[in-house]
Amino acid sequence: MIEVTGASKVFQSGNAEVRAVDDVHLGIKPGEFALIVGRSGSGKSTLLGMLAGLIRPSSGAIRIRGMDLGSLSDDGMSKLRSREIGFVFQFSGLLPTLTALENVMVPTLFSRGEAGTRARALELIRTVGLSERANTYPGTLSSGEMKRIAIARALINRPSLLVADEPTGDLDVDTEDEIMRLFRQLNREGMTIVMVTHNPDLVEYATRMFRMDRGRLEEWTDLHPGTPLRGSLPI
Amino acid sequence: MSDAPGLRLSRMVGQNLRNRPFRSLATIFAFAIIASTFFSSQYLMSGAQQSLDAGISRMGADILVVPTEYSHTGQSVILTGEPSTFFLEGSSVDTISRIPGVAKASPQIYLATLHASCCAAPVQMIAVDPERDFTVSTWLKENPGITLGKDDMIIGSAVVQDIGKDLQFFGHTYYVVGQLQQTGMGVDNSVFVRSEDAYVMADESGEKAVKRLTIPEGMVSLVLVKVDPQTSPASVAAEIERQVPTTKTILPNGLLNAVSGQLYAVTRLLYGSAIAVTVVSVPLLGLLAAMVTHERRREVSILRALGAKNSFVAGLMLAESFSLAIVGGILGIGMAVGILVSYQDLISQVLKIPFLIPSPLTILAQGGDALLLLIGIAGVSSLYPIYRIIRSEPYETIRKGES
Repeated sequence: MIEVTGASKVFQSGNAEVRAVDDVHLGIKPGEFALIVGRSGSGKSTLLGMLAGLIRPSSGAIRIRGMDLGSLSDDGMSKLRSREIGFVFQFSGLLPTLTALENVMVPTLFSRGEAGTRARALELIRTVGLSERANTYPGTLSSGEMKRIAIARALINRPSLLVADEPTGDLDVDTEDEIMRLFRQLNREGMTIVMVTHNPDLVEYATRMFRMDRGRLEEWTDLHPGTPLRGSLPI
Repeated sequence: MSDAPGLRLSRMVGQNLRNRPFRSLATIFAFAIIASTFFSSQYLMSGAQQSLDAGISRMGADILVVPTEYSHTGQSVILTGEPSTFFLEGSSVDTISRIPGVAKASPQIYLATLHASCCAAPVQMIAVDPERDFTVSTWLKENPGITLGKDDMIIGSAVVQDIGKDLQFFGHTYYVVGQLQQTGMGVDNSVFVRSEDAYVMADESGEKAVKRLTIPEGMVSLVLVKVDPQTSPASVAAEIERQVPTTKTILPNGLLNAVSGQLYAVTRLLYGSAIAVTVVSVPLLGLLAAMVTHERRREVSILRALGAKNSFVAGLMLAESFSLAIVGGILGIGMAVGILVSYQDLISQVLKIPFLIPSPLTILAQGGDALLLLIGIAGVSSLYPIYRIIRSEPYETIRKGES
């Protein structure tokens, strides 16, 4: 699913070079739930941005389902993101001017138009338990509700990879647990998930864990080999 | 339910504009000002041009010959119908008729009337010689069944009286037999009678009218000249001025130039305002767009992260900008049409120009021109903000917003 070979990302900060990601090698198979943990500034979010095709590596190669991201144009990257990758941000990233239902449908504007978009969006909202909030605006939703709508949005185009950047960072323990159980359910249904967090306690939900420190992927752990993949989410 | 429509771009555009009322209203206002000034300039020019075309076609003359000292007055009478009385020697008509290239020469006597019941202001009475006339006679030919007989009168479009009713001037009663179509020129405020009836009216005015009217024997006010086909009106006009030195000739082009001259200051002001507003607005609109884009950079970055191509982002921003331009344009043009139509007579009087409301098709075309200009401005002012946002790193922007 994901193959990273010697990927580095160097940012220019004044006259100094900051090596946010340094020679990372990584392989993630379909159906895995990979957790990348690390302290703030360790480079985990930059690596996640690179895996999602949002940041181009300074060197090295990244392949998603065999496609070399380095060879894709901006439009090619956009196409890949809209069709293969669902993204969940630390903050919900919902558009305040659209209702929850409309927010879920936003990614469909960038992909092939499909009949039944609204029905699928409603079904996803039902799945994340917010049917009654479908026509409300984000301003009236709680943080947890917004996050669940954002997850529904990430799933609307039936991506093969779900990328989440600290999705529980601003949530209370109960809501964090709710979101993580939703992720685990998605993973059990076959969704490949890569999630960045600074909270190592979430390791129980993942099948593999990576740790980043000063731009380097220091170690990895295969937590639950052979996790069964089945469930009921409409992915 | 599966056939229910998904999210549409138009919904995003509408919501984005509604949620930024200050930006939207300020931009609409700027576009409305540009549209109204640009449209007004075009409207006034074409209204004057159309009026001149209609008026000159109504007169059917290639050259107007007026007394030298009354050339300006003659022009004003023809263009805006400011009533006036002036004369030149009637013998000039014969001299003019004999000049090579002159096909017809029709003398007319211009008499400024007192207030009449028909009209809010004095009207211009024009006495024609039916034997030589080709202005009223052409109209009569186009309207068979109407003749200009004894004490008959044909009235301009702005003169209020029904056909078949009487009108009194200087105590003399005339019978209205016809009404000319609107031209926007002086002829609209004129009434046409036969010369011999005018002389009778003048003779009787001492007894019947409040003010005595005098028409000097053997004098005319101006001569309308039609030249032979393939003859240059300019060369005939020059010859007329040479042979009758007390006269000044006016060509339709001269009238057009006079109108253009009178309109010049106004159109220069309007076009100048439109250009100034445009020059000031483009960077201001660009700045406004840049500010909004800066404020929305995270939102746009999220769209890009969700798979929006650069072309989608550019399309979204252009659609918003074009929507504001179209709304502002329609408002500006609507306001301009409202004001220009409502105050048409006042504008014509103040600017001393003939004016005829352009046809709906012309107004639509001018409105279309103004809208195209606005769409161009909207596009240009959006270019830099679009470039900036497309060049930015979406993920970096999202992360900055989160911290």
